[in-house]
Amino acid sequence: MSNPCQFDGYKTDHFFDEMFAQGESLNPRTHYEKIYQRIDRLTEKEISERRQQADSSFLEHGITFTVYGDEGGTERIFPFDLIPRVIPESEWKMIESGLRQRILALNLFLNDIYHGRKIIKDGVIPEEIVNSSKNYRPEMVGFEPPQSVYAHICGTDLIRDEDGKYLVLEDNARCPSGASYLLENREIMKRAFPQTFGGMSVRPVEAYPDLLLRTLEYMSPRKSQKPVCVLLTPGVYNSAYFEHTFLARQMGIEIVEGKDLIAIDSCIYMRTTRGLVQVDVIYRRLDDDYLDPLVFREESMLGVPGLMDAYLKGNVALANAVGTGVADDKVTYAYVPEMIKYYLDQDPILENVPTYLCWRDADRSHVLANLESLVVKAANESGGYGMLIGSASTAKEREEFARLIEKHPREYIAQPIVSLSRHPTFCEGGISGRHVDLRPFILYGEDIEIVPGGLTRVALREGSLVVNSSQGGGSKDTWVLNDF
Amino acid sequence: MRLYLFHRTSYRYPSLVKQSYNELRLHPLSNDWQKCISSTIAILPICRTQSYLDLNGNIVHYFELPEEHKKLVIEARSVVETRSRVDFENFPYGVKISNFLKMQGVAEYRDYLQASSYVEINPEVWRMAVDLQGGSNDVFQTAYQIMEFIYQNFEYCKTTTTVDTHANEVLELRRGVCQDFAHAALALCRCLGIPARYVSGYFYDSTRDRKMRGAEASHAWIEVMVNGHGWFGLDPTNNRVVDDTYVILGTGRDYRDVAPVTGTYFGARPSEFEVTVRVKREKNT
Amino acid sequence: MLSRVADNLYWMSRYIERAEGMARMIQVHQNLALEYAQGDEQLAWFWKPVLQSICAEGFPAGQNEIRNLVKELIFSSGYENSIYSCISLARENARMVRDQLSEELWLELNNIYLFFRNGEADEVYQQGSDLLLDRITRFSLVFQGLADATVPHGEGWRFLSLGKYLERADQTSRMLDTLNLRDKEPTRTDLMSVLRCCIALSAFRQQFRGNLSLQNVATFLLFSENFPRSIRFCIRAIDHSLHTISGVPTGAFSNEAERLTGSTLAMVNFTDWSQVQAKGLHQTLDELQSTLIEIGQRVFETYVLLPSEIKSLGERNIAQSAQAQQQQ
Repeated sequence: MSNPCQFDGYKTDHFFDEMFAQGESLNPRTHYEKIYQRIDRLTEKEISERRQQADSSFLEHGITFTVYGDEGGTERIFPFDLIPRVIPESEWKMIESGLRQRILALNLFLNDIYHGRKIIKDGVIPEEIVNSSKNYRPEMVGFEPPQSVYAHICGTDLIRDEDGKYLVLEDNARCPSGASYLLENREIMKRAFPQTFGGMSVRPVEAYPDLLLRTLEYMSPRKSQKPVCVLLTPGVYNSAYFEHTFLARQMGIEIVEGKDLIAIDSCIYMRTTRGLVQVDVIYRRLDDDYLDPLVFREESMLGVPGLMDAYLKGNVALANAVGTGVADDKVTYAYVPEMIKYYLDQDPILENVPTYLCWRDADRSHVLANLESLVVKAANESGGYGMLIGSASTAKEREEFARLIEKHPREYIAQPIVSLSRHPTFCEGGISGRHVDLRPFILYGEDIEIVPGGLTRVALREGSLVVNSSQGGGSKDTWVLNDF
Repeated sequence: MRLYLFHRTSYRYPSLVKQSYNELRLHPLSNDWQKCISSTIAILPICRTQSYLDLNGNIVHYFELPEEHKKLVIEARSVVETRSRVDFENFPYGVKISNFLKMQGVAEYRDYLQASSYVEINPEVWRMAVDLQGGSNDVFQTAYQIMEFIYQNFEYCKTTTTVDTHANEVLELRRGVCQDFAHAALALCRCLGIPARYVSGYFYDSTRDRKMRGAEASHAWIEVMVNGHGWFGLDPTNNRVVDDTYVILGTGRDYRDVAPVTGTYFGARPSEFEVTVRVKREKNT
Repeated sequence: MLSRVADNLYWMSRYIERAEGMARMIQVHQNLALEYAQGDEQLAWFWKPVLQSICAEGFPAGQNEIRNLVKELIFSSGYENSIYSCISLARENARMVRDQLSEELWLELNNIYLFFRNGEADEVYQQGSDLLLDRITRFSLVFQGLADATVPHGEGWRFLSLGKYLERADQTSRMLDTLNLRDKEPTRTDLMSVLRCCIALSAFRQQFRGNLSLQNVATFLLFSENFPRSIRFCIRAIDHSLHTISGVPTGAFSNEAERLTGSTLAMVNFTDWSQVQAKGLHQTLDELQSTLIEIGQRVFETYVLLPSEIKSLGERNIAQSAQAQQQQ
C-alpha cells in the first residue's frame, strides 16, 4: 500500500470541526480542500522538517514571550501549529461587519459614559455598573480624546459554538497583544507551504503595521508637522516585549520606556542624544494604572510623571485612551447588545455568549446553584486568570468560587460552557482536534480597519478550553480566502 | 462589486448651539442591482437615531440634540454589493419618446416629468434640448447625448456654485459640480418628456490614474426611465453610463429630496465644516 | 536617537569586545600554563597577575578550583566578566534595542547566546577548549564585520564603535600591564603572550623584525599609528566618533568626554618610551585606565543623562511665562 495518510484515524467527535463537516467519514469543507490534501499527503520527514524550520525561525528571530517567575529561562516561544485555520469569504464578511458595528458601539458607549451618560439616563445600563468598574477613570469625565475615539486598537475574541455560530467571548480594549504573531505566522506559513498558499488566494495581512501607524498619526494634536509617534513599552521584561519591538520596527517609530520620556510644561519629550524631542502620539502598551505615578499608582516606575496632565491638556495623544478598560469589563460586555441597539438602532450582527451577572440576585442564585455546568470569570481579569470551568473543577474549587461570588458579586459573571469549535492540530501521536478561538485586530483611526483574519489561538492540551498563551495555548495562521 | 463606504460630516460651531434636529439620507438602498450588506450611522455628541422610509422609498435617519453643543459629527459606514444593470454591448435603444407623452398620467413617472425645486421647464431649456436631440426620437440615445453635451461643454469647478444653485443658472454658466450637472441634465430630459430623477450616492474610481471627478465625495447623477427596461443611470460629471462602481443612497425629484444631511438648529453658522468620503473596493475577484 | 538606545548600543559593543578579549587572553595563557606550570600552586602563581589585570583576583575562591579556572572564566554566571556573562549582557542590551540592529547582527548574537544556553558550548568545550575559544573570537569578528557592513554608519554605529574602541583600549592596556605584575623581568615568553593576546604578533614582527624587548612591545602597543589595537589607534577612533556624533570639528571640544579624549590623544601622540620609563610603565597604564573609565563616564553624562538640557529648557519656559504675565 501507499504511504499512510496524516488524517487517518482523525475524529471530529461531537464537536463542530473547522475543517470537516459532520459525518461518518472525513469530509473536508470546500474551503479546506486544498490544504487538507496537502497536509494529508505529507510524510513524517516533511512534517518534522517544517516543524523544525518554524521553531528555529521563531527562536532565531527571538520571537518569544516571557513567563514570569520561571528561572530556567524566561523566554519561550509561543507554540505554533502548521495547519492553518481557513475562513471562507462569506463568513469573514459577516465577522467584519459585526466587528465594525461592535467597536463603533463600544466607542460611542465610552464617549457617552464620560460625557452626557444618556444611555444611563435612559435606563438602558445601570449607573452602578459603570461607576463600580475597576477601570473607570473619573479623570476622563468631560475630556474629549483626540478625534473622539477611545479604543483605537481593539482585539475582540471570537469563538464558535457547536453549530458553528460565531460568538463574541470578550473585547480587549486596553492593550491587546498578538498582532506580531499574526504577521510572523504568515511569514512562516508562506515558506512552509508556498504552493498551497499561492493556490488558495489568501488575503494578505502585511498592511497591519502601516494601518496602525496611520491610525496613530491621525490622532496627532500637532497637525502642522509630521507627527512624532512612539511606542511606550513597560520594558524588556514584559511578556510581550518582542511584539513591542517588532511593531515599532515595522512602523519605523521609536520604542521608548517611561524613563525615556519626560514631561515639561504639560508637553511630553523624549530624551535623545540630540536633546529633547517633543512627542505627539504615544502608542502605549502599558495599563492605565502604570501610566503616570502622579495620578495613578504612585509606586509605578514604568510610567511618566506628568503624562496625564499633558494628555488632558491635549498636548499628547494616547492610544488607547485612558479609561477604555470599562469596555473590557465582563459585566459591561453583557450590555453590548443593548448598546448596539441604543446607539445604532440595529441588532447585533455578532452575538454574545449568554451571560449571568452575579450582582443581579436572580442570576446569582442561578449561578450558585449551577456552578458545575458554568464557566465563572472574574470581571476584570484577562489572560485566562481568575476563571473556574465548572465541569473540570473540584468541589473545593467550586466552594471557593461560591464564597468569592457571595462576597464580591459585582466582580463575577458566569456563562454556560460553550464547547468551542475544534481544529485539526499536530499533537504527539498525530493530528487530532483541539479547541480554537479567533482574535481579529480592529484599528479605529480615521475609519475602522480590520486586517483579514487575525490570530487563531489553540488550546494544545487535549480537551482544554483555555487558549491563552500563559495557559498552554498555541497559535495558528488564519487564512481568509477570496471567493472566485 | 463589493464596496465599503465611509462618509463623515463634521460641523464645528463658533459658539454653543442647541435644539438641533436633523435628517440623514446616508443609508444605501437595496434593490435589484445593489444589496446593502450592513450600514451603521453614528452621531457625536451621543444621541439615539431612529429611521423611517420616505415617499421616494429612501431610508431616512433622524435625531435630535436638544442640549447645547459645539461640535456635530455624523459618521456613516456601509458595505454594499453591486452588480451592473447595463449590458454595455447592448444598450436599450429603440424606445421612442412619444410613448411617454401618452404616459403623463402614470403616477410613477409623473413627478419626474415636471418642474421641481431646482429644475424648471421653460422654452429656453426646451429649445436647447431639442437642438441636442437632433431629430432623434430614441429615449436612451437622447439622454446619452444630453449627458455627453454636459460633460463636453460644462466646466467642472468647485467654487462657482453652491448647494442652492438652480438648474437654470447652471445651464447659463455652464459650470459647476456633480449636483449642478445632474440638475441641468434633469431639466433637459424632462423638457423632452423623458422621466428623469436625481440620484445621490457614491462611486468607486476604478481607473488606473484615479482622475474621475467626485470619487472621494458625496456624488450625484441622474436616472432616466426607458420604458420596458427600467431606470438607467447616467453620470454627466464623468460621461459614464452607471455600472457596478456606483452605489445609490437615494433617488428623488432633485437634490432637495435626497440631501445626505439636512437639519435645523438654534445658533451661529458653523465655523468649520468638513466632509470626508472614502470608497474602497473590498477584494473579491 | 534615544539616549537609552545609545547607551545600550555602546554597552552591547563593549561586552562583545570584552568577550573576545577574554577568549584570547584565556587561550594564550592556557597554552602557556601547559608549558610552564605544574601543580596547583604553580598554576595559581601563573594565573595570579592575569586575574589581577582583569580585576578577578578573588577568583576562583579555593586552590583546588584552579583546575576549573578556565571553565569558570568561560561559563561562570556569577562572574560578570566571564565570556558567558559578557555574551548574555551584550544580548540583553541588544534585546532592548533590537529595532535598531540589522536582522543579521541580531541573529549572530542571538545564535551565540543560544549556543551557550542549549549546552552546545559545553559539548564543544569538552572536545577542546581551543575550539570553543576560537569560535567566540570568530563570532566577535563576524559580529563586528556585520556591524560595519549591515548597520547604517549613522549615530548608532558611532556609539557601537565608541564602545568597541574604549573596551579595546582598556583591554590592550590591561594586557600590557600584566608585564608589570610579575615579580620579575618579563621573559621572552611573557612578551610573546602579550602580543598574542592583542593579535599583534605578526604586525609587531613586521615593524621590529623580531627584536623582542619590553621597550619595543610597549612602544608598539601604546603608540603604533596604524595597528588597530594600539592605544593610540583606539583613542584616535574614539576622538573621531565623539566628534562625528557632536558635529564639532576635531581639535575643539563641546563636552567633557571630547576634552578628555583630545588631551589623551595629544598625550599618546607626543609621548615616547623615555617618558613612559620616567613615569614607570605601570603608572602610565594605570593613569590611562582611569582616563578611559572617566571618558566612558562622561559619554554617559553627555548623551544619556542630559541634566543640563532638561534644566535649561525648564528655565527658558519659566522665563517666557513670567514675561507673558507682565504684558497683561
